[in-house]
Amino acid sequence: MNATYLRIEITRLFRNRRALVFSILMPALLLAIFGGLYKNDSLNGAAASAYLMVSMGLFGAMTAAIGSGGTIAVERGIGWNRQLRLTALTPREYATTKVVVALLLALPPLVVTYAIGVLGLGVRLPLHTWLAVAAISWVGALPFAALGLLVGYVAKPDSVQPITGVLYMLLAAFGGIWVPAEQMPDLMRRIAEWTPAYWVGQAARTPLFHTAIQSHAVWSVLAWTAVFALVAVRQFRRATARA
Amino acid sequence: MTQTPPAIQVTGLVKRYATVTAVGGLDLTISPGEVVALLGPNGAGKSTTIDMLLGLTRPDSGTVQLFGERPGNAVRAGRVGALLQSGGLLPDLTVREIVALTASLHRRHRPVGQVLARAGIADLAKRRVSTLSGGQQQRVRFAVALVGEPDLLVLDEPTTGLDVEARRAFWASIRQESGQGRTVLFATHYLDEADAYADRIVLLRAGTVVADGTASQIKAVATGRTIRATLPGADPAALASLAGVDSVEVRGDAVLLACNNSDAALRSLLSSTDARDIEVTARNLEDAFLALTVGEPA
Repeated sequence: MNATYLRIEITRLFRNRRALVFSILMPALLLAIFGGLYKNDSLNGAAASAYLMVSMGLFGAMTAAIGSGGTIAVERGIGWNRQLRLTALTPREYATTKVVVALLLALPPLVVTYAIGVLGLGVRLPLHTWLAVAAISWVGALPFAALGLLVGYVAKPDSVQPITGVLYMLLAAFGGIWVPAEQMPDLMRRIAEWTPAYWVGQAARTPLFHTAIQSHAVWSVLAWTAVFALVAVRQFRRATARA
Repeated sequence: MTQTPPAIQVTGLVKRYATVTAVGGLDLTISPGEVVALLGPNGAGKSTTIDMLLGLTRPDSGTVQLFGERPGNAVRAGRVGALLQSGGLLPDLTVREIVALTASLHRRHRPVGQVLARAGIADLAKRRVSTLSGGQQQRVRFAVALVGEPDLLVLDEPTTGLDVEARRAFWASIRQESGQGRTVLFATHYLDEADAYADRIVLLRAGTVVADGTASQIKAVATGRTIRATLPGADPAALASLAGVDSVEVRGDAVLLACNNSDAALRSLLSSTDARDIEVTARNLEDAFLALTVGEPA
């Protein structure tokens, strides 16, 4: 991977703070509201505030990762990709850089929601639980980074925002991120099990229950990442052929 | 002695979009060091041809070789730099950042400061691209095209948006680049640019080459002279039947005779009509351009 390219992409993140702020603001607000409402409740043996904190952190990481791919659509629209294709940069390096940027963008919402959890909701967890929750949530953003890549190659610059918006609302609502899947009606829950959001959520919250991650969760997340990445590569090839 | 492959070798290039044939069987060979203008009106297939040259668009048939390699390989090897009409610049980067980034994406590159100076944008280095005028952005594109130290420069309408002074400075830079042995291919619809700066002009119409040569050779293709005279009540049919006259145009009291033999036409015009105020002019490049590019292809 080209270090200069990555450095400049990171610089651009700081220059376009809108995406960054939005990916932090939504989960922070939701956590402040619902965390406050259910502060003293417990859910399946874990503190509801901790449960919600992990879910909302994941929600922020997910929206940031999907939204990050939207820059690809904009860059295709202005012809920057044509410019890049006149250099030695390979499509693989480009995609890898975009995925790394998406994962970096997924970090701030995690940090902010955890800070709200600790400072505002009194969440207390053992260090290893903190680390496990954070690491799984962050790695769990990978399928969404791949989904962002796909959206970036499919969407037009002016349709990319509504498309990503609908996607993360659907994923959050049906994937048990906003409403705990445990409280969903049976049908909803069965739908949830088909989303990557559900399994990433399951995996990220397991440390709270001191249980092991279900292998099904791992396979599901890997499968979704592979599917999104494959479709993105196919779309990329098609976009290239048409130029 | 090994033979140097041509900088550009295009054979039988065809590209169709739905019902429109953008490029219809183009053949073109350009030797290293040549400065060639791809001249043609809008829609003649200049940009499509350039896209295929650079490997950005796949031709329906035909082949492109740059320095004996496929376009993609030549591009990756850094042998080609291009200024595209549609080549976007990231608006949130500074001029220096975007040139330095492009430099880092090439296998070899020239010093960024040197390239900024060559493109005349050293004083804009810290400005964000989004704050630049169209002409300034065009010079950034030029710097981006130069920074990979290419052997072939492909420029699509490079002086769009530049004022007269900037255009002159731009061409002075191009001359310096071609003086270092670089091959330059530029598309333009400005006749004076093709005439003044190209060693060779390739005239395109409807995606095919209609003329290829030096500016004076192109002018000679549309041979002949024009006779202009005052002749009230002229009979166009009678004038057209005069020896040496190709076509007749009546504009009020004036007549314009396009001639293949103006001497013969002049003799009979003077002896058989009352024509006066007679002027004879050779066609210029613009006439040649119009003669060759206007109308349906044969």
